[in-house]
Amino acid sequence: MAKKKRTSWIVWLRRLTQTGFFLLFCYLFLQTVYHPINKAGWGITFFFNLDPLLALCSWLASHALVGAMLLSLLTLGVTFICGRWFCGWVCPLGALHNFFTSLRGGRAKQKLEAGGYHSWQKAKYYGLVTFVVAAVLGANVVGWVDPISFFFRSLSISIYPAINKALVVVFTWIYDANPGIGPVRLTLVTEPLYGFLRKYFLAVEQPYYWGSLLIGTLFITVVALNFWRARFWCRYACPLGALLGVVGKNPLVRLKKNEEKCNSCRLCLVDCQGGATPDSLWKPSECFYCWNCKSDCPAQAITFTPSASQRCHSERSEESRSDSLVHTSERGSSLRCE
Amino acid sequence: MNRLSNWLGEFVHPPREARLDLGRRALLGAGLAGLGAKVLFGIAPQASKRSFNPALIRPPGALPEDEFLARCIRCGECMKVCPTNAVHPASLEGGVEGLWTPLLIMSLGYCDYECNLCSQVCPTHAIRQIEVPEKQKIKIGLAYIDRNRCLPWAYSKTCIVCEEHCPTPKKAIWFEEVEVRNIQGEKLTVKQPRVDPDLCIGCGICETKCPVKAPAAVRVTSVGESRNPENQMLLSNDNYGQG
Amino acid sequence: MPKIDRRDFIRTGVLAGTELGCGIFSSYALVATPTTFLSNAHDPQPIPQPPAMSIAHYRSSPAEPEGIAEEAKRLTRQALEALGGMNRFVSKGNIVWVKPDIGWDRRPEQAATTNPDVVATLVEMSYQAGAKKVLVSDNPCNPARLSFPRSGIQQAAEKAGAEVIFLDERKFRKMSVNGKVLKEWEIYQDVVEADRLINVPIAKNHNLCRATLGMKNLMGVIGGPRNRLHQDLGGTLADLAAFLKPRLVVLDAIRVLTANGPVGGNLADVKRKDTLVAGVDQVAVDALGATLLGYQPASIGYIAEGNARGLGTLNFNSLSPKQIEV
Repeated sequence: MAKKKRTSWIVWLRRLTQTGFFLLFCYLFLQTVYHPINKAGWGITFFFNLDPLLALCSWLASHALVGAMLLSLLTLGVTFICGRWFCGWVCPLGALHNFFTSLRGGRAKQKLEAGGYHSWQKAKYYGLVTFVVAAVLGANVVGWVDPISFFFRSLSISIYPAINKALVVVFTWIYDANPGIGPVRLTLVTEPLYGFLRKYFLAVEQPYYWGSLLIGTLFITVVALNFWRARFWCRYACPLGALLGVVGKNPLVRLKKNEEKCNSCRLCLVDCQGGATPDSLWKPSECFYCWNCKSDCPAQAITFTPSASQRCHSERSEESRSDSLVHTSERGSSLRCE
Repeated sequence: MNRLSNWLGEFVHPPREARLDLGRRALLGAGLAGLGAKVLFGIAPQASKRSFNPALIRPPGALPEDEFLARCIRCGECMKVCPTNAVHPASLEGGVEGLWTPLLIMSLGYCDYECNLCSQVCPTHAIRQIEVPEKQKIKIGLAYIDRNRCLPWAYSKTCIVCEEHCPTPKKAIWFEEVEVRNIQGEKLTVKQPRVDPDLCIGCGICETKCPVKAPAAVRVTSVGESRNPENQMLLSNDNYGQG
Repeated sequence: MPKIDRRDFIRTGVLAGTELGCGIFSSYALVATPTTFLSNAHDPQPIPQPPAMSIAHYRSSPAEPEGIAEEAKRLTRQALEALGGMNRFVSKGNIVWVKPDIGWDRRPEQAATTNPDVVATLVEMSYQAGAKKVLVSDNPCNPARLSFPRSGIQQAAEKAGAEVIFLDERKFRKMSVNGKVLKEWEIYQDVVEADRLINVPIAKNHNLCRATLGMKNLMGVIGGPRNRLHQDLGGTLADLAAFLKPRLVVLDAIRVLTANGPVGGNLADVKRKDTLVAGVDQVAVDALGATLLGYQPASIGYIAEGNARGLGTLNFNSLSPKQIEV
């Protein structure tokens, strides 16, 4: 395998942006509390407003739409241009799945198996159709699986109460047991820390919710599946990803491969997050624009540029397809870009 | 410009790489699954106009049930923000379709009289945005006293914690002073609580604070909720169409 | 809440017992001394004793919020000056726990919570008397995050320099109350460990015990299943009052709740009495508060019980309360 080169600055920017949006989501989550007097916190529904799937299905089912949710048109607009950039750069659940996927060790070969494109990735499109049809008929149940809704609900019902409980138990144990030597007690450190957490992070009172076990287990299962297949939820299940994949199936900004530079080393496949097969026929509806492939390519053969005209490509690919399928997979893509 | 028009044209005739390659049969199957799900939801007892789940107590400001289920995105914002931990995700109280929609469990929390946070945070306004004075007139249910468990009724002991906590300006819980005998045969006067169904808004603080546990001696059920003209028991209820 | 260990148990028990003994002794002494002073008019050199109780009444009844705020501040200051000043109760370096009624998610004009300016003035005066730290808190019936700001007490107390705290669940400890009804109960540790406890209730009607005043207000420093105490409010409140023994009780009767208490909600139930009562005898202060609401002190369970046990006297006139018009 060719030596891995230094990570591109765009990848660092993307990671920073993902982290930023993830932290923003968590911050808005924590802000969803009572503020004196009788205020809920500003802008806490930001991510829900950005979500075009929720806007679409709510409108279809109830024939009404909250004005703030028109912000989702922004998401759709950018998706036309940049494909599933939302999945790669903005979605907080996506960022979480990205993180857990990256925790997986394994050599490149194992990563390829787990990270390559699987035809089961089409399942999310069928799921999307099911939920959209249900919404047309008045059942807005997409909220069960929409990623923003799924993440917020899981945090609110299970994950945050669990973290809260764990912290309170630990700090209470230290307070009661009061370990230390002589006048030097652990509580000298832990009590100010506990006060800080109580003020800015911990819940006012330990929350307990019905259904927390089921919701928590589902969440943990979905996250754990990242260890089996890279970004499992995003590739196989996410209906928002499917919607964005449909809207963004012919984006303006496209992956361009320089055929002369490419030596079919397939390093671009190893860290591909969406399973978009950049080594052969690039699938825009699976691409998260994470820029890993561009960053990893030792020959610098990959670029992402705005490119409108693909007609000539499709004509050519029609020819080569009819020639032989084997030909296409042998040497990488036979497509040429202008 | 030419490139732009080419690009736009490609949405009609997508090039090979932009095709999703979804099977027609599979798509049809997916669509039918959506249809089938809706049909199955529609035959559940909860969809019947005659069936009311007493535990399906929706937050004040919630739209009538069909519209509510069409708007609610099951996100959990209302559950997170509720300051008394009263709002919980439903299991099957609202049918399968109502899974993870919000309902109030009064044994765990109650609806604070001066609060309207859930209606402030709902992203799709499935819980209408209402001001506090309007919220205070909306009934989400009705409390009833379980005379077999209530301390002054069943055990000749003093209590009325329920009346003490009732937040309505004219108390929805009133009491009658009744002479009872205790186990020693002594006569004593206890205050036995009663609920006024016209005044009670179903906020649930009585159930939450009742010293009798599992279940409490005063409980709230959904009957009388303002948003549902069918789920009523009184002739005198003038809340039809409200909510 | 873990049970405190044996050493703490004994220490607290001894502390409580001593407090109780001192309390009974001092209130008895206070009852005895003024009477002796008055009856011995021919005594060549009478030793002036500071009054046990003061009643401050405002001549006017302003309607605007600023007017009521000014009234509250002046009444509080005058009532305490009449008792000999805050220096009598707070010494230099003390940690003072001010316990207002912040029990309900209500606005100040609904008279379900203590007047915020009364609380703020007491905080100021405590600092002026040399207190090291003044803590203001309550264990309310509605969520604290809601009731503290809506009552106005959080803002007013913080402005006066107090540390307004939300109670920490871990600090409720089972303590030996050793009362007639309550043997032990969960009490907030920091209240018992504070140097001074100032009880600042508001006079309200209560449909179970007729009126909620100072002794009932002490329910805000305890935890556990408080909703069981109602089965014997007379006995349990007297037990708690005996255990906690506030150094000073300041009863807010500027606005009182005359019906549908203790939560209220109907502004028609709020009446202006424009009065503030301060005293060291918690039974006497409560007795006076009861009369302000129109009840016979002896008809209120915990007042009668407190009187019977010698915690104080319900015959407040025997203390010769100092009456002042402001």
